[in-house]
Amino acid sequence: MTRGALGRPGGYLRTAALSAASLTTDGPLFLLDYLLRFLRVALLLSLWRVVMAHRGPVSGISLDALLTYTLITEVFAEPLACRTQLDVSIWEGSIAQRLLRPLPLVGHYAAETFGRWALSFCLFSLPLLAAAPLLGVDPLPGGERTGLAMGARTLAFCTSLVLGVTIGLALEFLFGGLMARYDLSVWDLQGLRGALQGLASGALLPLAILPWGLGPMLKWLPFAGMASAPLRIYTATGPVSWLLAMQLGWGVALWLLTAWVWRANRERLVCYGG
Amino acid sequence: MAPASTAWTPSSTRGGPWRLPAYWALQARMDLLWTLRNPRMSVVYYLSSLLVNVAEVVGLLLLAERFQGIGAWSRGHVLFLLGYALTVAGLLGATFDYNTLEVSRRLGRGQLDHTLLQPRPLWTALLSEGCAPFSGSAALLPGLCLLAWSADALRLALSPAWLAALAANLAGSCGVILATCYLWGSLAFWQPVAAEEISASSRSLLHQLKAFPLDGLAPAARAGLLTALPVGFVAWYPCRVLLGLGSGHLWLTPAAASLLLLLSNRLFAKGLHHYLEVGSQRYTPFGHRR
Repeated sequence: MTRGALGRPGGYLRTAALSAASLTTDGPLFLLDYLLRFLRVALLLSLWRVVMAHRGPVSGISLDALLTYTLITEVFAEPLACRTQLDVSIWEGSIAQRLLRPLPLVGHYAAETFGRWALSFCLFSLPLLAAAPLLGVDPLPGGERTGLAMGARTLAFCTSLVLGVTIGLALEFLFGGLMARYDLSVWDLQGLRGALQGLASGALLPLAILPWGLGPMLKWLPFAGMASAPLRIYTATGPVSWLLAMQLGWGVALWLLTAWVWRANRERLVCYGG
Repeated sequence: MAPASTAWTPSSTRGGPWRLPAYWALQARMDLLWTLRNPRMSVVYYLSSLLVNVAEVVGLLLLAERFQGIGAWSRGHVLFLLGYALTVAGLLGATFDYNTLEVSRRLGRGQLDHTLLQPRPLWTALLSEGCAPFSGSAALLPGLCLLAWSADALRLALSPAWLAALAANLAGSCGVILATCYLWGSLAFWQPVAAEEISASSRSLLHQLKAFPLDGLAPAARAGLLTALPVGFVAWYPCRVLLGLGSGHLWLTPAAASLLLLLSNRLFAKGLHHYLEVGSQRYTPFGHRR
């Protein structure tokens, strides 16, 4: 055997590049999704301005922080949602081809996903970030003005984002394993997870402003570690060390659980996709 | 060159509009049989569809609850808006399921041939094959409940004329979505691979933005969302007029739907003519998709 258990770094890079290129090979119609995302963020920003007009900070969050939160949510929408092709590939059986490739399964899906994110980040996220002043939003982390403070907050945000992606990948594989175990429909599971994650992760609305005391409950769930934690760190609306510790805890717990679920359902998975 | 009207009836002229109720009844029966075939899976499917539809509007619902409304829209008004948006989604789900709304998938995958082979006009097939009142109506019940609840909370005077206007606007909003999906989806006649998912993307675009009150947008942006991308007609504009929240016309949404349906009909017929000349090239002789 000429490769290590983790595969060669070049394999990941080539997989990511292929994945990014696959988005563009069918023509420029993929740009429509970016139009949708831009319209959505423009509407959300206008909504916050209407809702927060003549109001002070709500649950400790000012209008400026809300606007930055919304913009950064869209800029990093894909890493914050962290969806791979795992469920679809189990459903259509193409996971079998991936199992034959010289990369670990998790690494393979992660590389594919990073490839898609990279293209989207260059074509949509960076232009959106650059256009933030035109949309009337301060894109700087936590409104920091000094270089050192900005650097520290950016570093904490990046760390939190990586931990959030780790949690997201663990949830992807956990849901994939459960799909195989209980013979669930990929579309049903995608729908259920999307509905739950959209609300509970804080990507749709900051958890702190949810009514009926939902926020304090949802912040303990792993979904909050995917989006709410990095966004709260970026907008300086949450305690950095506590949020990072919570993410780390969920990351470790979820990967242990996921590894067990996959070990227990390995044979079922092979039978499921075909 | 065959005229467009011929292109719409490629196989037979049998089966005019008077056959539609029979086709709908047949589709509804098949939908019921599909639902009963595996009740457990059907319940999971129905509940997940329900959750997905509710999730699309839940953010705004929570926002309205937290802030007791959004701008000029009180909490009751926002509930009505969300109920209207869900009802539109439910009506379309119950009548245009099975990729009849996402028509570019049928075109892109070469599945239009399955419909062209049937001894009935294409338009009757497209109007009836998506009828799924049992499996596709997950959004209808919560939508109607929200409408009724908000109408009661707002103490709306439900006169026959107002109810007729509500029905006409609901039909108009459905027409706007249908026309948009077919307008964009017709591109798949010329670009079957690249545009296979374009109807789904345009539908997703309308559905994701449908429940937003557009009042806070700049006038130019708002005008764009009522013309180039008619999101405003899916829920915001008709609700605004029905609730008397601003100036407007009750007939504008049905009129916009009629205009868009005419445009989409013309483009679809043109694309179909192209298809009848070149056919589908998505499959190799071995049956694999290219």
